[in-house]
Amino acid sequence: MTVMTPRRVVVTGLGAVTSIGIGAEEFLRGLRAGRSGAKPITAFDATGFDHAIGCEVTDFEAERFVVNLPVREFGRASHFAAAAARMAVDDAHLPLADLRAARSLVTVGTTDGESRDLDHLVQMEVDQGPEHLDPVVARRVPAGRLSIAAARELGLSNVEAVTLPTACAAGNYAIGYGFDAVRTGEVDVALCGGADAVCLKTFAGFYRLGTIAPERCQPFDRDRKGILTGEGAGIMLLENLESAVARGARIHAEVLGYGLNCDADHPVAPNEDSFARCVRLAHRNAGIVADDVDLISAHGTGTKANDVTEARAIRQVFGQSPPRTVSIKSMIGHTMGAASALASIACTLAIREGFIPPTINHVSTDPECGIDCVPNRAIDAQLRVAQNNALAFGGNNAVLILGRYEENGVTNSQPAGEEAA
Amino acid sequence: MNETNGPVITAWSAVSAFGVGRDRFVAGLRTGRAPAVALDHAEWPAPVDKACLVPATGPRDLLGPKGTRSMDRATALAVAAVGQLLAADAGGRRPEAGEDTGLVLGTSTGSVRSIMTFTRDSLTQDRPYLVDPARFPNTVMNCAAGRSAIWHGLHGPNVTVAGGRPSALLALNHARRLQRGRQARSVVCGAVEEFSAERAWLDWHTRGDDELAVLMGEGCAVLLLETDVADDRPGLAEVAAIEVGLATDAEDVGPVLAGCVTRALAQAGVGPRDLWAVAPSGAPGRYGDQERGALGALLAPGTAQLHCMDLLGDTNAASSAFQIAAVLAAAQEAAEPSSRAALVTTVDRDGVIGCAVLRIAGTA
Repeated sequence: MTVMTPRRVVVTGLGAVTSIGIGAEEFLRGLRAGRSGAKPITAFDATGFDHAIGCEVTDFEAERFVVNLPVREFGRASHFAAAAARMAVDDAHLPLADLRAARSLVTVGTTDGESRDLDHLVQMEVDQGPEHLDPVVARRVPAGRLSIAAARELGLSNVEAVTLPTACAAGNYAIGYGFDAVRTGEVDVALCGGADAVCLKTFAGFYRLGTIAPERCQPFDRDRKGILTGEGAGIMLLENLESAVARGARIHAEVLGYGLNCDADHPVAPNEDSFARCVRLAHRNAGIVADDVDLISAHGTGTKANDVTEARAIRQVFGQSPPRTVSIKSMIGHTMGAASALASIACTLAIREGFIPPTINHVSTDPECGIDCVPNRAIDAQLRVAQNNALAFGGNNAVLILGRYEENGVTNSQPAGEEAA
Repeated sequence: MNETNGPVITAWSAVSAFGVGRDRFVAGLRTGRAPAVALDHAEWPAPVDKACLVPATGPRDLLGPKGTRSMDRATALAVAAVGQLLAADAGGRRPEAGEDTGLVLGTSTGSVRSIMTFTRDSLTQDRPYLVDPARFPNTVMNCAAGRSAIWHGLHGPNVTVAGGRPSALLALNHARRLQRGRQARSVVCGAVEEFSAERAWLDWHTRGDDELAVLMGEGCAVLLLETDVADDRPGLAEVAAIEVGLATDAEDVGPVLAGCVTRALAQAGVGPRDLWAVAPSGAPGRYGDQERGALGALLAPGTAQLHCMDLLGDTNAASSAFQIAAVLAAAQEAAEPSSRAALVTTVDRDGVIGCAVLRIAGTA
């Protein structure tokens, strides 16, 4: 094997579609203000549920945000992905001709893919029989199309377009994959993140498990009652530092590293020790130690089980006084495959702007969680390193480490050199 | 084996229409086409009469009664295939697949049957929340990978990738990148697809008239991918190159594939006329025509052809995993002292196009 100096990987473009703001700057305003995206769900007929509040993106018409994508051929999650990818490229001020000439990766994480379309197809099947499914809608179903939509919107051909349906940690998986692809020099540009659309299937499932909150999402609160399902997309544009500097790009933050592992234990319940191991893997990969971390963006779903398990894992790694630990799910709900992508964008904005987004709807912190979740109001803070947590069904853990961009690196400890083919 | 220093495939297995395990797959390739099953429409209310099914009635049949009560077919196929792969020839677990082993599994859309059945329950029960909570995890597309990890104790990175027919090549590329990034050492990778009436109906509504001749198939094939393999354990094949692109329409498929193959062969240091074998997707319709055309223009006429789709039906997400398995099986059947290269190509109607060059280890 030839020894290779890994490239530094920086974030130069952000695209966000969220229930508290479309576009990274509007999302930023929402995060600073502690806006809530919660409102009655319109994605499906909620008759028969005692409560159905969610965080939908209500002012999104795909045609306003995409140029090239044949909108009718793609579902709502693909529209979100394509729109966010377009925004990320615009934000990066990367000319499309340059992007098309580059070797690129487009990777979108998701939980449900186009399950909104599958909801509609099942309704047609129930009403009229399976021979009457709409073929245009049926054609939209394959999950791979979320990434393809983003790549086609941008007119990319020399591109690896791959969807990562690794459930609710998928956004971090995608950004980690983009990080490795840029770091090793295999691609020049990576567009990576996640997308999901609210669907009946997932709402009914979480509702049946008793994990849907009736009104609001209250992570780490003593009286937290569960998640609100949400939707949207977050896409980051990653490139290597040399290319960003050479073209005079605005560097929002640096991706320092990430960690992945699998509990291999329980299909849905999180595992404290295993998640703590994942955090340590991420620190090692990023060349940092726990003391370097200034902010944790928690998975923080607002369920009884997640929040206490996650907080315990954090204390296992960070000791009894962990860094401030917030959950933006209090504002935008659980956006499933988009969740850790949007949280990564929130961390990036927090580092860039010098603030910490709040955990809203907070009344009193659960002593079993024992963390400072920055209740209800954003605070100013100079951040050097942020850690973004994600846990998923299947015991799939993913932790991403982002840092403020500084010429000589934000931490004194340099990432370990590595070998690559 | 050390010309491009790619990772090495050291083992493989398959659960296919030929049966459970590698030996069945090898024997099946020898005899030709897998038997198509006449579908009992009470069990499979599908718009087709025949399909190439894995000869197992369900998860319990494949894995026994314990832990399979709420398991779906796709998950069972994956758990079974990974189990076959991890079993050492001498019994017990392969020592090179320790508990930090990763898993990267390709899928089209998980189990559309699980997703649609769950949604159907919500729409038709007295209350929309009267769904089976034990089956909720099946409706999430990483179910097969997550359950395989639980069943077999795989604590490394656990990734699900979706990209239609190229899914296994995308999984292989992902696994390779995890290894380069030091996220994983040994990685199990492959892809799974299940047959179901729901999938058959979606397929029936979306297939072109020129795609109707191929039977639907299913199964799972998996590989063990290792780096830093000791010289005394050369493995089966080196992954010398993987190239992926995107075509915007059917007419674009040939040029994009030709570009991928040209780049991959250059990376691998293999001349297009020096390939021992090629395993194309053999997709029906215009996409397959473009694949045939591109390969015909690039490769020598005598290159051995391995046609999985003819033998196993359209296994969709699993297809490129079976193509790699077919190359490894054929190499095993006709072992040679010196190393030789094989090409796997794949095209999908959503536009993802890809290829891999494998350098088969010689016996000397």
